[in-house]
Amino acid sequence: MRTLLIGCWYQLLVLRRSPADLMALFVVPVNTTVFLAIMQHADRPDLAGHAVLAPGLMALWAISLVTCGELIDAERWGGTLEALVAVPARMLPLLTGRIVVVVTASLFAFVESYFVALVFFDVSISVPHLGVFVVSMLATGLAMACWAGVMASVFVLARSARIFQNALGFPFFVLGGVIVPVSYLPDWLRPLTNVVFLSWSSDLLRDALNPAPVQDFGFRLLVLLLLALAGGGLGAYLLSAVLRRVRSLGTLTYA
Amino acid sequence: MIKQVAPAVEVTALRRVFAGGKGLRKRGPEHVALDGVDLVVDAGEVHGLLGPNGAGKTTLCKILSTVLLPSGGMAKVLGHDVVTHTAQVRTSMGIVFGGERGLYGRLTARQNLKFWGALHGLHGKQLRTRVDALLDRVGLRDRADDRVEAFSRGMKQRVHLARGMVGDPALLLLDEPTTGMDPVAAKDFRALVGELRAERRTVLITTHDMVEAEQVCDRVSLIDSGRILATESPNALSEWITRFERVDALVPPELVSRLRTLPGVGSVSTSDDGRTRFETTEEGVAAQLVRSLVEAGVTTVTTSKPSLEEVYLHVFGGNGMAVRR
Repeated sequence: MRTLLIGCWYQLLVLRRSPADLMALFVVPVNTTVFLAIMQHADRPDLAGHAVLAPGLMALWAISLVTCGELIDAERWGGTLEALVAVPARMLPLLTGRIVVVVTASLFAFVESYFVALVFFDVSISVPHLGVFVVSMLATGLAMACWAGVMASVFVLARSARIFQNALGFPFFVLGGVIVPVSYLPDWLRPLTNVVFLSWSSDLLRDALNPAPVQDFGFRLLVLLLLALAGGGLGAYLLSAVLRRVRSLGTLTYA
Repeated sequence: MIKQVAPAVEVTALRRVFAGGKGLRKRGPEHVALDGVDLVVDAGEVHGLLGPNGAGKTTLCKILSTVLLPSGGMAKVLGHDVVTHTAQVRTSMGIVFGGERGLYGRLTARQNLKFWGALHGLHGKQLRTRVDALLDRVGLRDRADDRVEAFSRGMKQRVHLARGMVGDPALLLLDEPTTGMDPVAAKDFRALVGELRAERRTVLITTHDMVEAEQVCDRVSLIDSGRILATESPNALSEWITRFERVDALVPPELVSRLRTLPGVGSVSTSDDGRTRFETTEEGVAAQLVRSLVEAGVTTVTTSKPSLEEVYLHVFGGNGMAVRR
């Protein structure tokens, strides 16, 4: 637990000195403006919730993909990964603490998009199912943190992780139902969307903003948490395997 | 005061082979970085690893610090195997990798040390006290709250040193620790190593600096092409190569020709200023040479023993700038 807190403390220091790591937060007002403008042009005020949630989910994914995904690789480029491996503290809780801080900070995107809607479009988003919304948001953050660990580990194996990061943005916005609900997508995509935690998150969050009763909340939350658990387990395994691999190959540093 | 059981480092038939080529399959030719290294470093000893670029010094340090797995052989740190008992090794060992990288530039020196100290299990007042003491020790107290990215290379190296010591290690691995330091800082560093020796810590230091090796090391191992060539005290190592004195004098050319033929005289070279150097290959020949020179009327004669630097050049001099594969 102490190592996790060290990771949190360290990441807070880094973010304070390097706000560009949260660059996607600066884009949230622009994305929110685009989605709300489309909604207004289409005269679909019922989609206001979608227009406000989408930029938040996009920022959450983008920050996790880029910032969390590079956490280990950046250490390698900076020449600190070797020293981190050589200390008594374990890497997994340290990395987890750092990811938790980044993901928590990225949740601010939802606050941003809410206020952009309120201030610039005079659109007030109400949350009829506040409990569902809060629980779903927390579960989404947890799942994101778990899968960010997977990305951080996998990207270490790539010589240039940036290529993958650039490629993995929009496909997951689609498969995660971030911009368009997955129910609108072709049926043959369902098997894929079902294993992307974002699709469950986005549907739950949208339903929480809809006055209609939320169907099968317990089951859907369970699936979301199971996908988070799967991500966490996979991330822990991959981190261990990747560290062993780079220790074996001698690629802990690029020097 | 650190109490250790001997030996602090024990390496037997250690091999490390790097796969060649690129990609996941790596089908290129292999590179043997360590080829059956045997080495023992006693507890409390300051031991130098001396060798050219690509000799295997850093590879050995990395294996001892558990960040690199060996391909074969065995390595123990304070009795703990570096492959199977990594946790124990990491608790008792500190490492300083040389170079500009390896620190968090956007953080201050104090924040860097607090972070690394916390990863060594320190916290609260103990952590603060240790960090303050180390900042004092490496002469960075006045710059403790400046970002490391604004530091000179030498100052960064001091932070590296402090980071290596923050866990209060019984064994300290120093990989080119004075790289980039100015002469004053390098002198302070040598004094620091002396303090570490007084505390009975074991220090394994890789360096290209012969003066440094002579001044701070109890024993020096020469390493090249992944093999230890010799392990001796700096003085003994000097004698190991050119065991005997050499003679420098202003000698007329005809006399040079005559003396060159004396038994036990090795190479003879004349510099631009007319001074001739006779390298001897047998004990007692230097004295005989001096006598012959004096008898011939030559009065400007000096004798000297080789420095460790000359030993180094003797052994590795043929490499030039080449870095071995």
